[in-house]
Amino acid sequence: MPMKGRFPIRRTLDYLQKGDIIFKNRVKVMTVNYNTHGELSDGARKFVFFNIPQIQYKNPWVQIMMFKNMTPSPFLKFYLDDGEQVLVDVEGRDHKQISQHVKKILGKSEDVLHAEAQARMQASNPANFGPKKYCLRECICEVEGQVPCPSTTPLPKEMTGKYRAKMAESQE
Amino acid sequence: MFHVVGRRSAPVTRLLASRGTVLVDSVRGRKSRGDPVAKSKEGRIKVPPPVDPREMVVLKDRYTEYQLILKALRLEFREEVLRKKFEEETGSLAEERARQDAEEHRALMLWNQEENLRLLKARVLRIQKEEEEAERIKMEAVMKLEQQQQEFIKLKEKQVLQLQEEAKNFITMENLDQRIEEALDHPKNYNFAVDREGRVVRQTVLQ
Repeated sequence: MPMKGRFPIRRTLDYLQKGDIIFKNRVKVMTVNYNTHGELSDGARKFVFFNIPQIQYKNPWVQIMMFKNMTPSPFLKFYLDDGEQVLVDVEGRDHKQISQHVKKILGKSEDVLHAEAQARMQASNPANFGPKKYCLRECICEVEGQVPCPSTTPLPKEMTGKYRAKMAESQE
Repeated sequence: MFHVVGRRSAPVTRLLASRGTVLVDSVRGRKSRGDPVAKSKEGRIKVPPPVDPREMVVLKDRYTEYQLILKALRLEFREEVLRKKFEEETGSLAEERARQDAEEHRALMLWNQEENLRLLKARVLRIQKEEEEAERIKMEAVMKLEQQQQEFIKLKEKQVLQLQEEAKNFITMENLDQRIEEALDHPKNYNFAVDREGRVVRQTVLQ
């Protein structure tokens, strides 16, 4: 029925949007090597299970790959766009610690995110009228409580230009 | 006569048309080249709208000035936007920012490296401990095995000695006659009596 999997909360939009790791533009590929059994890989397993969906949701253009049972001890590897590789050892660590560590070394900081949000708000003024691609509304007739579009309902006679012109002429 | 809808896209027109409207896409130039002129337009001479020359001169001046100002404003604004973009990407501030980013990145990478080393040390220690544990257990197992073997040998030796002791009392072919004589001379009485308190009485009369 509606619930699928062991922790279906991981599939909710709410949970995904709460993810707080947004990578810097330099990070292109993320690789997680871990083991499916063993106490030492437990943190890595939980990280993959709980945090990776959030990370992928917030960074749709970063490639994330998981490799299982190929390593004696679990690690994360990040490939940046200038060829640099960043290795993060996660043996015996908790998944919360891992995600904090990753956020610290490769995540965008709070003030950078704020600045970006500000820039986005400045670029798109909600008061502008224009094509739907760039602005919220095209015409005032789309707003609730305003005069509806004359293409759907004809305007009352007094508002039409030709009536007003006729009245103005007849008065002269 | 019929309400013809204004110029809108075809699907929107179809959607918004009410019951009485005729759906016609109003297109200019319905007639083709060879079609005759309409009866109501037979003697028509098209004249352009009348123009007052003095008014026209004044208007032209004003329009040129107006258009000049507007074009200048537009160019100004466009240049400002482009300049901002340029500054953003390759200005001095941007260089500073890039340098600072690189610095921070290096610092963070160093910190990450230190963390990795710390974990590496912990891992090495742990592996060493595990190896020692394994060694100890192996030694213990070997010793236990040896001990068991020793005990087994001792047990067997004791059994052999006991057997040797008993062998002295065996009946062989040589002392067969002697033992028979002995047995006949000394009859043994196996009868006994026990009462409820557990007192055993072996002195019974042999029949």
